[in-house]
Amino acid sequence: MASKGNLTLKSCNGKEFIVEEKVAVMSTTIKNMVDVDDSFAQGVIPIIGVDGKILAKLIEYCKEHAEADEDEEVKSEEYLKKFDEKFVDELNLNDLYDLLKASNYLEITKLLNLLCQKVASMIKGKKPEEIRRIFNIKNDFTPEEEEEINRQNPWAF
Amino acid sequence: MAVIPWFLGELSRVLISWFSRSKTIRGFFHVAPILVKKNGNGKTENLLVETDEYSLLDLPDLALDCILERLSTSELCSMAAVCRSLREKCRSDHLWEKHMKQKWGRLIGNIAAYQQGQRFIALRNRAKLLKSKKKKGLFRYSSIFWTKIWNRSKENEIGSDQRNLFPVYSIMSWYLAIESGKFWFPAQVYNREVQNGQLGFMLSCYDAELSYDSSTDTFTARYSAHGRRTIEDKIEWNRIRAPAVDTPAHVLHVSDCLHELKPGDHIEVQWRRNKDFPYGWWYGVVGHFESCTGHESQCQCHLNDTVVLEFKQYTLGSRWRRTIINRKEHREVGNGADGFYGGIRKLCDPNEILMWKCLWPKTTLE
Repeated sequence: MASKGNLTLKSCNGKEFIVEEKVAVMSTTIKNMVDVDDSFAQGVIPIIGVDGKILAKLIEYCKEHAEADEDEEVKSEEYLKKFDEKFVDELNLNDLYDLLKASNYLEITKLLNLLCQKVASMIKGKKPEEIRRIFNIKNDFTPEEEEEINRQNPWAF
Repeated sequence: MAVIPWFLGELSRVLISWFSRSKTIRGFFHVAPILVKKNGNGKTENLLVETDEYSLLDLPDLALDCILERLSTSELCSMAAVCRSLREKCRSDHLWEKHMKQKWGRLIGNIAAYQQGQRFIALRNRAKLLKSKKKKGLFRYSSIFWTKIWNRSKENEIGSDQRNLFPVYSIMSWYLAIESGKFWFPAQVYNREVQNGQLGFMLSCYDAELSYDSSTDTFTARYSAHGRRTIEDKIEWNRIRAPAVDTPAHVLHVSDCLHELKPGDHIEVQWRRNKDFPYGWWYGVVGHFESCTGHESQCQCHLNDTVVLEFKQYTLGSRWRRTIINRKEHREVGNGADGFYGGIRKLCDPNEILMWKCLWPKTTLE
């Protein structure tokens, strides 16, 4: 059981993480749980559908940002920017998707925005065929539809 | 404390049921997603994606939307060409509205009015509902105006193929039509035809229909006057504005500022060569009478029944330099030689005045 001011988060594959409350409540979903009933603060909060690896990543991100929110001098805006860049650069595509889903579900808005920006930057300057390959999307247009699309939008590509 | 395990159990149950309802469950359990889609005939078919890796489409709607909101217009077009489900998402008005506002909001005006314009078209075509409703101000003007322009563009250039691919009245279709140059929209052009070597329109602003050229980021204007249509190419953004008032080019503007005009005020006045021509808006200032020294403490010009308008781009002796109008009953004054001076609007926005100063000709005109 976590000591006062800490929360225990449990991943879907049973890994437990003890984190400071200020870190955990970066997630609006967790914050709402704690606000509804503070007895949560002393139990274990199951984070359904998020495995240990992803949960560790989430906590790493929230820790840095929660500390920066608390004391801007220790962790400056510049520092956070560098941290964010490195954080997203090190992700493979599956981890990126998993983190996107998890930050969406746990409502960690800042992280969600960061990850969405990352995906957007991966789309930048790409042709439809490249986008399909990178993001694993099946082309379900008929050849006629595809021809029509290419005819209609020549200026856009 | 016994309540906690119960509460947590209950919470887990709620979360699990929420998850099983949500699309996100697919991704979390690493199963190949089965996508149910509608094909072209409206029948549903099951497509098994032959991979155990994730696809962008497995993301929750909110996250996907959050990504699409960050794309430029050409990126949205690329995404729309990826697959059917992205095509549907990328056409959505809420994604295009921001881009429309950013690039075209200043010229094409109030997006809300513009959307209402579209709605007007749809309503008119379906049920002619608006006949019974009273519409006011900009909305009314914009609606009629867009209906006219849209219908004309439809006949002329946009053609039937454009409408197959895009929802007819979506913001995306408007944006692409403007950007492709196929769509001619009304606006006003400063220093008309100066690009053609014409100096006779310096410091005026005339109505025109404009078409955008995305390769040069300039406009082509079509003016109607002089009994023939004139065209001007390569017009830069800084020579174009949205009409400042709702008065169309052939209609006399009702002046509401005559009683308050005093020397030094900046104005625009409607002027036309003869009564068959459209009005243009000409920049001028309110001047002093010749009998007045112009000294602030002695000046009585603002008490006079008439007002002196000065056009300082012309030399002192030029017949275009000055005109005098009646404060009380001015509507339109002039003759065949000097042209006709119509309605007046006082310029209150410093940016509008600055705009005219930036357009000032290098030499004085005869």
